[in-house]
Amino acid sequence: MSVSTTNTTADVAVSARPEASVTPAVRTSRRSARKTRSAAGKAVLVVLLLAFTLFPAFWMLSSAFDSKAGTGGQQLLPREFTLDNFAYVLTEGGFDVFLRNSAIVALVTVLASAVLALLASVAVARFRFKFRTAMLLMILIVQMVPLEALVIPLFVQVRDLQLLNTLLGLMVVYVALSLPFGIWMLRGFVAAVPVELEEAAYLDGASWGRMFRSVMLPLVMPGLVATSVFSFITAWNEFIFAMTLLGGASENYTVAIGLKQFFGEHSNEWGYIMAASTIITIPVMIFFVIVQRRLSSGLVAGAVKG
Amino acid sequence: MTNTLQAPSVAQGAPAPRAAGGPGRTKNLLTRTRPWLLLAPALAVLAVLLLWPLVRVFLFSLQDYGLREIVSGEPNWIGLANFGEIFTSPELYTVVLPNTVGFAVLAVAGTVALGTAVAVLMAALGPFWRTVVGSAIMIAWAMPAVTGTYVWVWIFDADRGIFNETLQALGLQDEPVNWFTNRYTFYAIVLLNVIHHGFPFVAITILAGLLGVPKEMLEAAEMDGAGAWRRFWRIIVPNLKQVFAVVIILSTIWDFKVFAQVYLMPGGAGSNREALNLGVWSYVESFGQNRYGFGSAIAVLLTLVLLAITVVYVRTMLKEDEL
Amino acid sequence: MNKRSLPIVALGLTAALALTACAGGSDDTAGGGVDAEGQTLTVWIMEGTNPESEAFFDSVGEAFTEETGAELDVEFVQWADAHDRFVTSIAGGTTPDVAETGTTWTAEFADAGALAPIGEFVDEAGLGDDLVEGLVESGTYEEELYGMPWYAGVRSLVYRADIFEELGLEAPTSWDEIVAAGEAIKAAHPDMMPFAVPGDAEFPVYPWVWGAGGEVATQEGDEWASGLDSAESQEGIGFYTGLATEHGFSSAGATTWKETDVLDNFAQGNVGMALMGSWTPAAIVEKNAELEGKFAATPIPGKDGGIAPSVLGGSHLSMFETAENKELAWEFVELMTTGEFADQWGQQSGYFPGQASLLAETMESDDPLVAPFATQLVEGGGTVPVTPKYGAVQAKKTTNTAIQAILSGQKTVEQATADAAAEMNEIMNG
Repeated sequence: MSVSTTNTTADVAVSARPEASVTPAVRTSRRSARKTRSAAGKAVLVVLLLAFTLFPAFWMLSSAFDSKAGTGGQQLLPREFTLDNFAYVLTEGGFDVFLRNSAIVALVTVLASAVLALLASVAVARFRFKFRTAMLLMILIVQMVPLEALVIPLFVQVRDLQLLNTLLGLMVVYVALSLPFGIWMLRGFVAAVPVELEEAAYLDGASWGRMFRSVMLPLVMPGLVATSVFSFITAWNEFIFAMTLLGGASENYTVAIGLKQFFGEHSNEWGYIMAASTIITIPVMIFFVIVQRRLSSGLVAGAVKG
Repeated sequence: MTNTLQAPSVAQGAPAPRAAGGPGRTKNLLTRTRPWLLLAPALAVLAVLLLWPLVRVFLFSLQDYGLREIVSGEPNWIGLANFGEIFTSPELYTVVLPNTVGFAVLAVAGTVALGTAVAVLMAALGPFWRTVVGSAIMIAWAMPAVTGTYVWVWIFDADRGIFNETLQALGLQDEPVNWFTNRYTFYAIVLLNVIHHGFPFVAITILAGLLGVPKEMLEAAEMDGAGAWRRFWRIIVPNLKQVFAVVIILSTIWDFKVFAQVYLMPGGAGSNREALNLGVWSYVESFGQNRYGFGSAIAVLLTLVLLAITVVYVRTMLKEDEL
Repeated sequence: MNKRSLPIVALGLTAALALTACAGGSDDTAGGGVDAEGQTLTVWIMEGTNPESEAFFDSVGEAFTEETGAELDVEFVQWADAHDRFVTSIAGGTTPDVAETGTTWTAEFADAGALAPIGEFVDEAGLGDDLVEGLVESGTYEEELYGMPWYAGVRSLVYRADIFEELGLEAPTSWDEIVAAGEAIKAAHPDMMPFAVPGDAEFPVYPWVWGAGGEVATQEGDEWASGLDSAESQEGIGFYTGLATEHGFSSAGATTWKETDVLDNFAQGNVGMALMGSWTPAAIVEKNAELEGKFAATPIPGKDGGIAPSVLGGSHLSMFETAENKELAWEFVELMTTGEFADQWGQQSGYFPGQASLLAETMESDDPLVAPFATQLVEGGGTVPVTPKYGAVQAKKTTNTAIQAILSGQKTVEQATADAAAEMNEIMNG
């Protein structure tokens, strides 16, 4: 457990508690004064942190529900509560379509990259073969290549594959972009699965495939969650490829590029823009908060073993 | 290579019996090709969509590659002329490189420092508040770059943004200020945006590492009279060296590649020349001026800068670890 | 040669007026004899030109299907993204069959080999003499017509008539009067922006350059020379940006505004005067019905009176080489640019038709939100340099950058214009 679990929730909450009531002993009182001070300090830090962290999201929501957002003089809370902004964005704004496109792209990207990355990571973690090290180095290096460097050749590549303006073209690219990270991360998880478990499965007469499904897969699940989060973010948030590869096909726009187009049309109507932003952000937020616990263990395992 | 023994990458020194192949089937063809079968789909995707494009961007950078060449597919070699033009253009040194490198340094430092501080704070909290803070930073992390950028643009909007209105209400400024026209305030907003979006990953990762540091070590240090600051540097940092390395590498990679956060800001798509960074410069030269060759050369430069920096980190990280 | 003055002559309505009678063309279309049952024609149209464009294209689609049997698939594209998007689609081979192309782009795309020549179709339809010459000029590349004149628009000075009346002001006819009117508005309505100076817009800049006697660029032989750094141009740009920097008529936010932001703010009632296009009145009323009848237009004044030329903007309909059925594409182009639909489009959008005979009719209008623009169009229309390279100058945002740098105080007028001129020369002669 943590370093200082002694400071419980209660300490933070009632940090204003008068010292005198604790104990008369000088030594103890000095200690408790320090404790109180540190609890108060922590409370202040937590408040500041929450304010900084949540303000943009709060401001986005507040503007999205304000029927007069964008006319200036906005208060912290909406002056005139309304859902019209959302209604407009989802109907006229076309975000129903953008959301659907993004959902399809994200789902396919997450599934495809998870499968491919898992298979590949088993290969590099469980087998020794020629060029294995070279392969790993290559994967590490492509992970560092900036996306902007790939825009031009990938544009030409996707054109050659006849996939410009299609969701499929975008999905293929996103799978490729999430693979290096996924392989690199999952490799640690696969390696951490004790070989003894595998052997036990073989002794029970299981085939390799059977062992993979019933032994390996459950144990690398946290890693899969972590990599899935990354491929999901890639697919949902990615902007530059969506902009170049989808070009004029606005019926295939994902949310990120859809929002840019929408901003171009309504650049001063902040109520609409913030409502659209909210709609885009909510699914990711829900997803994140749900996977929070698994994610952190997954990340650290991957990081430490990476 | 026919040896299908367990890779000792982590479980080093572990007994290495025939594991992967399964008993009695070690030498057959299937077993020998299995790693390649497993790798094949991923490799195919990577080769077609990452490696070959990577080679191509280099090839393009040696050509005067415009719309005509893209349409016809004919090469048009000009040697290193594109690079010559980049290195002789004054804006590279006065604007683009400082904006890219300077920004990345500040962003990485800011992200890692804030993330670490938050992780330490969270470790000191009780389970309830830790969950609250954890969920809050998840929300910051979850906000997509595009939406996050628009929210910050809205907050700092010159005419109606809350930042200007608050400053005016407090009497700190008389007239609205357009924060997007000045290079430094422009990048200050980008910095805020990037740190806000980037520190949660650092915080969560380091927190998990922190929780793994043996409590006894810290207690022993406290007994010896080491203050919190010293305990942090003496015990936590060495213990989490690898975690820090990963976090710094990933942040560097991400912060060098900021594109949407700059491109979508007012003036960021090229009309404010002082706000260009390598990524945006490459994009506007390629897709605005149809100079794909020149844009590719800039992209190659960006890649090289990034590789040079990360190689240093990677070496530190992998020194003791076998790949 | 002074390229700018061309359309003023070219528009010369004397020739066009004589042709008023043959407003036809529309009756020929049915005889095109194209049967394209089951085919689909994809078309890109710029967004925001006509507030009623969806309904308009619904009825065009019906008429088109009736005539040819083919379906019409219209995609709306924003001006701000359009150039990049065209270039990307040309590079990717995903161009539509027909698209609206801004007059400054047609030559560029033709140069890239993306457009199909339409001269033969025009001649066959007997339209050759009935097109507005200024638009024909900009749609022609290397002696071939690539852009079918569709509509023309021009920017004039739009102002709040109700406020001018309240303050006893007359529509300004010289630069000094603009300043005087601005000061009066500033004094009476401190919340308002007396004159909006958008920093991310190019076309509202040139009238001041021309109005002071300067040039954007001139051609000698094969060489282009930008005139933005001449003393006259600097005076004009200095006056224009001075409205913001010296007189405080604009706002800090406007430094990063595009023309659409000017429109939005005018519609919200925050702006007293601004240079806006002949197509904006409809959009303003659409956004804010309360402003109906409360604003008016006047030709842009020259420095000491007269009319300062303003860019004759507008669009062509261009056919792309990727169009499989070029006959069908032409049917659509002809349907749109002549006769009933062209007339309706002009009326709805506030643009002037590209068919000379239709234009002549519009010129006779005495609508207070049409007539001043018409005057500007005829007596003070100018064009940006007619060269395929000019599209690249626009994409580089050369002029926008200069204005933004002056407004934000990054550069002086002299520095900014000198840099802009150098960049323009490099691109246009590159």
